[in-house]
Amino acid sequence: MANIFAFAESRGGALRRVAFETVSAARALADASGGGEVHALLAGAAGVAALAAELGKYGADVVIVVEHAGLANTNVEALAATAAERIKSGGYRAAIFSASAQGRDLAPRVAAKLGVSMAGDVTTLELAGDALVVTHPAYAGKVIATLKLTGSPAIVTLRPGARAAVEAAREARVESAQPVSDPAASKLVVKEMVVGGGAKLDIGDAPVIVSGGRGLKSAENFKLVEDLAAAFGNAAVGATRAVTDDGWRPHSDQIGQTGRQVSPELYVALGISGAIQHVAGMRNSRTIVAINKDKDAPIFKVADYGIVGDVIEILPVLTAAVKEARSKG
Amino acid sequence: MRTENAVFLLVLLLAVGFFSYNVQRLLGYLSIALPDDRGGHPLVRLKNVITVAFLQKKILRDPVAGPMHALIFWGFVVLTAGTAELLLNGSFPAFSFAFLPASLYGFYSVSQDLFGALVLGAIAFAFYRRLVLHPERLEGDNLGHSDALLILGAIGGLMVTMFAVNALELARDPDSIIRAKPLSLALSMPLRALPAGLLTGAHALFWWTHALLVLAFLNYLPYSKHLHIVSSIPNVYFSNSQGPGPKGVLRFLDLEAENVEQFGAADVDQMTWKDLLDGYTCTECGRCTAVCPAHLTGKVLSPRKIIIDTRRRLMEKAPLLVGDRSELAHHALVHGEGDEGARTATEILEHRLLDNFITEEELWQCTTCRACIQECPVGIEHLDHIVDMRRNLVLMESRFPPEVLPTFESLERNGSPWAFRPDDRAKWADGLDIPTMAELVERGESPEILFWVGCMGSFDDRSKKISVAFARILQAAGVPFAILGQEESCNGDPARRMGNEYLYQTLAKQNIETLTRYDVKTIVTFCPHCFHQIGNEYPQLGGNYEVIHHSTYIERLLEAGRVPLDTDDGKVLTMAYHDSCYLGRYNDVYDAPRETLRRALPIVTLVEPERTRDRGMCCGAGGGRMFMEETQGKRINIERAEQLLATGADMLAVACPFCMTMISDGVKAKDSDVPVFDISEVVASRLRT
Amino acid sequence: MKIAVCIKRVPDMETRFKIAASGTAVDEAGLKYDMSDFDGYAVETALQLNEKQGPGETVVISLGPDVVQEQLRKALSMGADRAVQLKADRVPTDGLSIAGALAAELKDGGYDLIFFGRQAVDSANATVGPMTAELLGLPCATAVSTLDIANGRGTARRDLEGAAEIVEFALPAVVTIDEGMPRARYPSLKGIMAAKKKPLEVKPAQLGAESLTLEKMELPPERAAGRIVGEGPGAVPELVRLLHTEAKVL
Repeated sequence: MANIFAFAESRGGALRRVAFETVSAARALADASGGGEVHALLAGAAGVAALAAELGKYGADVVIVVEHAGLANTNVEALAATAAERIKSGGYRAAIFSASAQGRDLAPRVAAKLGVSMAGDVTTLELAGDALVVTHPAYAGKVIATLKLTGSPAIVTLRPGARAAVEAAREARVESAQPVSDPAASKLVVKEMVVGGGAKLDIGDAPVIVSGGRGLKSAENFKLVEDLAAAFGNAAVGATRAVTDDGWRPHSDQIGQTGRQVSPELYVALGISGAIQHVAGMRNSRTIVAINKDKDAPIFKVADYGIVGDVIEILPVLTAAVKEARSKG
Repeated sequence: MRTENAVFLLVLLLAVGFFSYNVQRLLGYLSIALPDDRGGHPLVRLKNVITVAFLQKKILRDPVAGPMHALIFWGFVVLTAGTAELLLNGSFPAFSFAFLPASLYGFYSVSQDLFGALVLGAIAFAFYRRLVLHPERLEGDNLGHSDALLILGAIGGLMVTMFAVNALELARDPDSIIRAKPLSLALSMPLRALPAGLLTGAHALFWWTHALLVLAFLNYLPYSKHLHIVSSIPNVYFSNSQGPGPKGVLRFLDLEAENVEQFGAADVDQMTWKDLLDGYTCTECGRCTAVCPAHLTGKVLSPRKIIIDTRRRLMEKAPLLVGDRSELAHHALVHGEGDEGARTATEILEHRLLDNFITEEELWQCTTCRACIQECPVGIEHLDHIVDMRRNLVLMESRFPPEVLPTFESLERNGSPWAFRPDDRAKWADGLDIPTMAELVERGESPEILFWVGCMGSFDDRSKKISVAFARILQAAGVPFAILGQEESCNGDPARRMGNEYLYQTLAKQNIETLTRYDVKTIVTFCPHCFHQIGNEYPQLGGNYEVIHHSTYIERLLEAGRVPLDTDDGKVLTMAYHDSCYLGRYNDVYDAPRETLRRALPIVTLVEPERTRDRGMCCGAGGGRMFMEETQGKRINIERAEQLLATGADMLAVACPFCMTMISDGVKAKDSDVPVFDISEVVASRLRT
Repeated sequence: MKIAVCIKRVPDMETRFKIAASGTAVDEAGLKYDMSDFDGYAVETALQLNEKQGPGETVVISLGPDVVQEQLRKALSMGADRAVQLKADRVPTDGLSIAGALAAELKDGGYDLIFFGRQAVDSANATVGPMTAELLGLPCATAVSTLDIANGRGTARRDLEGAAEIVEFALPAVVTIDEGMPRARYPSLKGIMAAKKKPLEVKPAQLGAESLTLEKMELPPERAAGRIVGEGPGAVPELVRLLHTEAKVL
């Protein structure tokens, strides 16, 4: 029987999906240990306590709510001190943070305060005797490492999306706490939050890239590519060197040896033959889809899925299908 | 000796003395340069002088200006004898060539007249060409015409005064020993009626005019681009552009030399004396720039400007370095140099050739296609200048187009310009039963040839088909061969051409080590860059192998009847072959690929694009350009694809994987469906199965 | 400014890794090494800061066996002034152990800034930078994509998921460098020659006990070979189905 600590991340007064993931992962560990408790730390500006119940839905037995005006934005030093203090006093077997930007910022500081080591960006975790055994994709995802944490508590950051949040509803008890150190005394403070949305996704960041080549025949036809990107919702538009050289797209959109090198989750190559110059910039994408009229086009050699045919004809159909698939969720 | 002879002798000595002073001054400027051993192979060099300089081989490549210049040049050579006679005779009245046997003297006399007339005709045409026709290559690079017109005028004046002197002498004395000069004799006829006194006076006047014009001309040379009259013969002699040795081999850079702190050239005193002599020799004829693929597609690079700038900078800086304080040194000493007002010595020394004269942009636009060197009639080697400055940019200043960085890094880490996994190098050969050297050695076998696949053949999906095609031909012909597989890495050519000699030598040494370990003797490759680099440039690093391009190798196999081909005639096809620079201009392989196509397809009609063989135009990929953006002007590959499509061919053939990429892209950009094949693919498609 | 940059030697990621016989490491045969990408950005950022802001010193530090001197020399050839190797037989798996050794070295160094890469591209734990900051009691801006230093204070942008925050901090500070910062410059041959003469100090690393150990390394399942789903618009539903159910990217 072991109690597990989870850090419940919130932003702008709302819980983030990763908060449920950490709580849910903690729940699973606690259950596997023979039924310990899950204690979640929720910090933020006044009013954040209202979110506690939601954490109960995913298996938190206790929600420690730290409300303070100085915690409206992330205040890593105050949070680290508060979390470390609580973890130490709570006698937890493990503490789970998300491997989000905030969790990666916070967890190592907590670990160092507690004088224990931690494992970053884990995808699975299980208790094994006194230790916590985790797996973690290393070497750019080309190697899966299994690590053993023998310190106590065992601290990890959990890769977002690595395990789905599973509901395990219960009535969470709410405990109030105060920050251990004065947020105003922190040496590093957030001056401004820049909330995304509206801004065009950069091809370096976008999880999906929809990219067009000379097979699109004209600059005007890139409208079809943009439509597909919009249908994905999280896609950026890329292009081949031939296309940017012809001025159909700006040079900054070029993907390839002499342009940007990208590795999105999904790369859709439209009317791209697959010259080495281009392939060198995108072949590390996780999934590659190619549409080209020439069945012998080299792009099909690197693609996971291919459709042979006229890209102009196929694009509207694909856009509609993607829209539909996404609306279904 | 009469007074006037003595006066003339004095004038002559002064003129020759001043000319000599200038020559030694210009030679002195070469002392700021780096050494370069250009001494060996005197017979080859002499042969170059005879064919290029005296027989005007390169000059005559231009069907219009060629004969014009050749006539002036040959006239100049012939008439020099007459000029010598005249100058000596002026100083020592007793002197003449009359001591020669009558027939020889007669021949000499006739030749003077004849060439005098031919030169005059050529000069008249030259004026017409420059003033009326305005050929494009004589324009640009901020060049004026005054220097050229002055020289043409002077030569014309020399001819006119020569004829006047001769005609007047014959008018005075129809029995003169020069009566064998037919034109002068004819001109003298109407003059005979004039009074003797007038004839004598006019003769003296024209004689002095002619003689002084000769001496003025001589002394004008060091102040003019026409210095080439003096410098082109040594420049051709010392040039490596026609051999000795393989063409286009870049200078070796000793990176381990003690106390060397400058690699490459940023200024004239970091160049070799041959580079500077190139500067003295350039006549600004523009043949180089007129064929430059970068220039032709609207880019700033002009190989002529590179050479002129070298000279301008030399004339500005060298006097300061050699301590030449003469007033003359501060003036325009050779036409066109940068007299940009009263610059102080400090300012001049703060400036340098790179950046202040030649921009980085110009240097990176070069495809190293060698067309400029091929055309230059006076043995200038533009690429030495360009690559040396690229070397300085990369090795000293780490300056290069940003998109080149992945290429350098990948060459370093992965042994290929693209970041592909080295262990995927032989993936194209999966299931084809092609052994690696390591496997053969394990079996205790050694192959007849090593098939050097190259990075394109290993990683580019289009070129992999060429690898397969060539391997199938070798297998069909029963040639025992092997590949290096993972042990192969880039030959280093792109790094070397982009000035990264350090990276180049690292790659080359590693390859040489591998090749030595397997005791490789014969290498066959379908990449002309691998072919040139390993065959012609690896010897600098101690790697000596027989390297054969697949076009030559396949042709030999076909000739020996070793390749079982379909016996039908195949389809009726019109095909245009595009010459690769590194195969053609660098290595003179022009016929083998064409012959291979003819043998594979007996009824093929080979058509030639307008620019072909040693005038062929680059695809745009050489010199590392494959790995750079082409942002200025028209894209070179499109220009070349247009030229090839203009032949109306049904199919285009190449013999280089880089040309394949560039030409295919160009053809696609023209929305054309004309297929592009490597010659080996054409042969493989005809293999009897 | 006096800036320390902590760099790690990592294998080039463009390889098909094999697992060594021990089962707890990758097979090192044929691997090419370089400094971790983000560490390269960190060195570049430090050099540019000192180039722009006048006289300063850039010190590169790496922990590990003597082979790490190769990466230290590279940083020197880029322009760093001196290097320190914290000598250890191997790089521990435990980030806190590494952070402890680094903190001991950095503590009295008088550094205004201490840079790390956002994470090492091999172990990808992203822990050593902030742990070192904690041990030194310094503020730490992690994964920054822009950085301004003026008047003893730093301003940086941190990209969060779907948002960004602008943080401000007092110097001395630790900063971990993310994508968006300048790429490492390509060392010139001149730089490589100069680096041979720059000081590289070797000290024993003061490593603590480890509580994180590497149990096993294995390769993920092979990616399936690509396939042509079909021809023309008719193939779209099948493609979308595959993206949804098989590739799970939709």
